[in-house]
Amino acid sequence: METLQSLAYGFSVFLQPTNLLYCFFGVLMGTLVGVLPGLGPAAAISLLLPTIFHAPAVSSMIMLSGICYGAMYGGSTTSILLNIPGEVASVVTCIDGYQMALKGRAGPALGIAAFGSFFAGTFGVIGLMVLAPTLANFALRFGPPEYFSLALMSMTLVTYVGKGPLVRGLMMVCLGLVMSTVGMDPISSRTRFTFGIPALLDGFGIVYVTMGLFGLSEVLSNLSQSLEKVTFTTTDTRVRNLLPNRQDWKDSALPIARGTLIGFFLGLLPGMGAALTTFMSYAIEKRFSKHPEKFGTGAIEGVAGPESANNAASSGTFIPLLSLGIPANPSTSILLGALLILGLQPGPMLISSRPDLFWGLVASMYVGNVMLVVLNLPLIGLWVQVLKIPYSILYVLIVIFCEIGAYSVNSSVTDVLLMNIFGLVGYMMKRYKFEAAPLMLALVLGPMLEKSLRRSLMLSHGSAAIFFTRPISVVFLLIAAFFLFSPLFTREKIGKKAIEMQED
Amino acid sequence: MSELKSGLFFFGLSLFILWEALRVGLGNFYAPGSGFLPFGAGAVLAGLSLVLIRKGWGVRDTLKSHSRRVILALASLFAYSLVLEPLGFVVATFFLVGILFHLGKPRPWWMLLGMTALVTFLSYLVFGVLLHVYFPRSFLGI
Repeated sequence: METLQSLAYGFSVFLQPTNLLYCFFGVLMGTLVGVLPGLGPAAAISLLLPTIFHAPAVSSMIMLSGICYGAMYGGSTTSILLNIPGEVASVVTCIDGYQMALKGRAGPALGIAAFGSFFAGTFGVIGLMVLAPTLANFALRFGPPEYFSLALMSMTLVTYVGKGPLVRGLMMVCLGLVMSTVGMDPISSRTRFTFGIPALLDGFGIVYVTMGLFGLSEVLSNLSQSLEKVTFTTTDTRVRNLLPNRQDWKDSALPIARGTLIGFFLGLLPGMGAALTTFMSYAIEKRFSKHPEKFGTGAIEGVAGPESANNAASSGTFIPLLSLGIPANPSTSILLGALLILGLQPGPMLISSRPDLFWGLVASMYVGNVMLVVLNLPLIGLWVQVLKIPYSILYVLIVIFCEIGAYSVNSSVTDVLLMNIFGLVGYMMKRYKFEAAPLMLALVLGPMLEKSLRRSLMLSHGSAAIFFTRPISVVFLLIAAFFLFSPLFTREKIGKKAIEMQED
Repeated sequence: MSELKSGLFFFGLSLFILWEALRVGLGNFYAPGSGFLPFGAGAVLAGLSLVLIRKGWGVRDTLKSHSRRVILALASLFAYSLVLEPLGFVVATFFLVGILFHLGKPRPWWMLLGMTALVTFLSYLVFGVLLHVYFPRSFLGI
């Protein structure tokens, strides 16, 4: 009953014209970046980050979250119609979705993707509504040792499921941790790694770091290859009859349910992300299917399961973010950064101290999911047309947006220079196969990890046993240790196939 | 070789981190100082870099050289951040957009100029006029 009252309050906050407009803009942008390959939700959120300085906190978060879950919808359209995944999370949809389109069944494929996404998205929001406050209440028992262990576990998980070898991911975590200490030490007020540069006194700004590492570096990487490769020509994209038939519904019902559960629960874990859940969902559907040989030739289950999984995962990632202040993927790392920029303290107190933000966001997700179905089904033709914009024009707009965005935060040319430096760093990282996600996560969680580490050691008079004698902390550390050391014994990562598929 | 290169780079960086961490003070386990976490992270980074160096030792580099387009784009971006203040937003952005359009795809000069002017004007209109971003102005007043 209390939850329903809170939800009603959330709707009263959300149903203001400004918030509705921000939500619409967010899901529209999300769909757009979902459609466009070479521009992910993390890059899109970082591009829009400077706008939050001019908007109320609730509206800003509604808009940025809309990009996160909106991107999952947009990705399926181009995967099915053109065999071009706009998002990594839509790669699996190409396998059977495009085959269905070739057989003239693009309509049912798009329809089931949209309805599955809507069901999974709504389930995810209900889960968020029920689980986040419970988890936040539980997290009130956390002290500095628990927070330290939790941050450590999150970083280990993100590194573990990331692309490439564990060593490289761990190196990025270390680098991110060091970067998070740049500036004034909050405990001793000593300056670290500033080298007399005033712009570094407050540490690295989240806006220009994310814009450089995710936005600019992506453009530079695309520039290093032939731009024709990132320009697309559309084939026959006329779609007839979007409603799946009775058999389609029968075949898709269980995959949607399974995909939703897989996506939602795996989405809760840091590092899992939407992409990995789609591969797991596809593998499970193929195993459960009575006719696995049909997978890859246009089986509707191969579209329904993964599309539901990525949407449920997208909502699931908000639970650790809003209840514990722990981001699960690069997009939510940037959202955490946005919360900090807005002067909000992410963590278990966020829901009780800013119920307008939490419940407003939950309400926006319900309506956002409806908006996405409306935006995606009747406007399919429009989204396909977007792909006709040549990348040689699009990339210039993205770069200019990055430059202006970095400048507009503090009206500082130094920020523009720093963003360009991080663009170069991000480009080199991509070239040498280092991932930005662990670095970003460590940069955002670093201050919390450092503060809780130092406080824990002070509390225990210098004894590290404090981390091993408190049950919750021990559980987090054991999970971290398992994922950190298991490759030494198993010689390969658990779920290696899914991770490799994601890389391909 | 790419592993060797990146390993050597990060090893050098980790030595620098360790030096700076020692400079600001490590403290002790009872009262960890400002350099405590950076020192720990730097030490782990140094160890992992050595692993990477060992893996890459004697392996041939398969990376292609940098694309000319990327180098020129980066050079123009860095130049932009240096000339933005003295030249002002409109002039500096006009040059940057022009160079980027040209790098993307060679076009007839009239089309290049037209597209560049349009993007510069629209970005000034949206951000400068509508969103009130205070852009640097040149001696021309724009």
